[in-house]
Amino acid sequence: MKRTARTSILALSTASALLLTSCGFSGGGGSQGGEDGVTTLNMLVPTYSTGTKTLWEGVIKDFEAEHEDIDINLEVQSWDNLEGVLKTKLQGNQAPDIYNGGAFAEYAAEGLLAPASDIASDETLADFQQSFADAETYEGTQYALPLIASARALFYNETLMKEAGVEQVPTTWDELYEASKKISEKTKAAGYGMPLGSEEAQGESLIWFAGNGGNFGDAEKISVDTPANIEAAKFMQKMIEGGVTQNDPGATQRTPMLNTFIQGKVGFAYGLPQTAVQIEKENPDLKYGIAPVATKDGSAATLGVADRLMSFKNDGSKSAAVKEFMDYFYSAPVYTKWVSAEGFLPTTKSGSEQLDGDQTLKPFLDLLPNAVFYPTTNPAWNATDGAFKSMMGEIATGKSAEDVLGGIQAKADAASN
Amino acid sequence: MSTAVRDAAAPKYRVRKHDQSWWASLPWIGPALALILAIVVFPAGYMIYNSTRKISQVGTDLESVGLKNFATVFADPALPRILINTFFWVIIVVLLTVVISLALAQFLNKPFPGRTLVRMAVIVPWAASVVMTTTLFYYAMDPNYGLFNKFLVDLGVLEEGFGWTKNAVPAIAVSIVVAVFVSIPFTTYTILAGLQAVPDETLEAAKMDGAGRWRTYFSVILPQLRSALAVSVLINIINVFNNLPILRVMTGSIPGNDADTLMTYIFKVLQFDRRLDLSSALSVVNFAIVLVIVAIYVKTVKPMQEV
Repeated sequence: MKRTARTSILALSTASALLLTSCGFSGGGGSQGGEDGVTTLNMLVPTYSTGTKTLWEGVIKDFEAEHEDIDINLEVQSWDNLEGVLKTKLQGNQAPDIYNGGAFAEYAAEGLLAPASDIASDETLADFQQSFADAETYEGTQYALPLIASARALFYNETLMKEAGVEQVPTTWDELYEASKKISEKTKAAGYGMPLGSEEAQGESLIWFAGNGGNFGDAEKISVDTPANIEAAKFMQKMIEGGVTQNDPGATQRTPMLNTFIQGKVGFAYGLPQTAVQIEKENPDLKYGIAPVATKDGSAATLGVADRLMSFKNDGSKSAAVKEFMDYFYSAPVYTKWVSAEGFLPTTKSGSEQLDGDQTLKPFLDLLPNAVFYPTTNPAWNATDGAFKSMMGEIATGKSAEDVLGGIQAKADAASN
Repeated sequence: MSTAVRDAAAPKYRVRKHDQSWWASLPWIGPALALILAIVVFPAGYMIYNSTRKISQVGTDLESVGLKNFATVFADPALPRILINTFFWVIIVVLLTVVISLALAQFLNKPFPGRTLVRMAVIVPWAASVVMTTTLFYYAMDPNYGLFNKFLVDLGVLEEGFGWTKNAVPAIAVSIVVAVFVSIPFTTYTILAGLQAVPDETLEAAKMDGAGRWRTYFSVILPQLRSALAVSVLINIINVFNNLPILRVMTGSIPGNDADTLMTYIFKVLQFDRRLDLSSALSVVNFAIVLVIVAIYVKTVKPMQEV
């Protein structure tokens, strides 16, 4: 009895000692340039596809073979968790040295990011297409390096269209409504797949808003509840209430919805170049086509997405190593291989030249000039994005379009102050 | 006067003695104390501190705002619905769990062949990860490829798959089923332990006095289960009130706040609005509610009192 008591006290004190040491509140900021001259870079990236992790591991392995004095710790997270993980790291002073994300302005606004000129050479910076480089600028300084670009296009199921007697691929909202209605009524499939769940409600919304000349605002002001956007949201509601979408669009996530499209159970859905790659892999028999986004009057518009690499400066001691990595990664052979493996569009001039003849990418490359982007340079964008994810689905549960967009606007305004 | 003089002299001696026993006990209680301070008191204190700060979306602590965060939280139009949801969620889950567990424990207390196996089987939901169990249910409820929906469609009950987890009320109902399922093992075992402590003499006495089965159960067995029940109800209330994984998986995709309990709402404020300060304020409210429930419970049920 005595012995067990002593052992358990021992165990307890060991445990508490361990706890106290590991619970150090501010943390050490990771390993610095160590005694042996090796710099360790922490890298946090999201998954674009199931192959993302392997792709990055390949890049890092080749890079480390060339640079023996630099080690890279790769951490891969899902998009759902990415920003939560980053936030935890920031609070614990463990900010990643290389970070791949969507929004950057709020981090730049707080002075957490290293300027682009510190993390990439002049040649690398000059290689970015100007429009993309401009989108990485906050108050006159470029902070991030554009990594990928993407555009959405309308995927249509030819088999279902034939079965329902739809002859023309819809180019306007009304045509899309009628075509979806026919498919919903005459086949067992859903007409149009509308994912307004928390995964990417902001994406589906902006595709529709852009189709009416709308957007989410600019670097100075987030504007969600504009007349053009409300009109578009009302049409989305008409689609839902007319029963031409899948069930419960307000709670439908994008990935499962696209999976059902790939299985041939949805007539129309907006997809990415990756969707085409996925169809090729998982259901090559699917008879489908890719067309421009259907808009109110048939004019060209789509949602463009650009993601970026950035570097949290921490104490600034690792900038040189980050620069080595960025210059290596953005060199045409490495970068082009990465971008095309993920099915994205390149943001560098040298990359675009190399990928010019790619057939899968062509319809999307054509759409890119008319793309509307998220206002990622606005520090309130993150909050707006969150508000879309948690609230936009409510247009499917009977709330008025004005109320829903007004609510999102209120959250954006609250974050701007 | 004289007593005052004596008192003034006395503490010296007393303090030294007190000191000694304090130092002597430190090695024994020290580690536990350090553990409690590090993992209970400090985080709770830090949470309360955060609730009075303005914290940027990135996570930088900007300034003190006093109780402004609480004013914002209480002015939130979504709060009443959330509190009502939370109330029903806790009451229904705990009530169902206790009633089912009472029956199950009674059954497991009877000797029958294979009893050990059945007792082991009851533990399974307890041993499995809650997120895993919930995800399993979640997929079964999926309108497109869920097993449960396919079953109902094949039987002809439904024409096509229903989005059980896509609408507020059915999603909470399904969550309740899962919560009861994972709460039963602990509750059953606590009650079973209580049942085994019921002396046979009392049962024999009841028999001698001619009490029927139900009478014996309600007048003899149930009162003796008081402390076992008290413990399991209290722990269940706290657990269910603070449950995040089940609700987050089941109701996570529902837009707006119609299906939120206080706990999932705190999580959404953190995840979507990125308001660490507001979610801390909400957590303090949550903490206070749990404390009040426990206080009321201890006061009225007096679980510590002997029967």
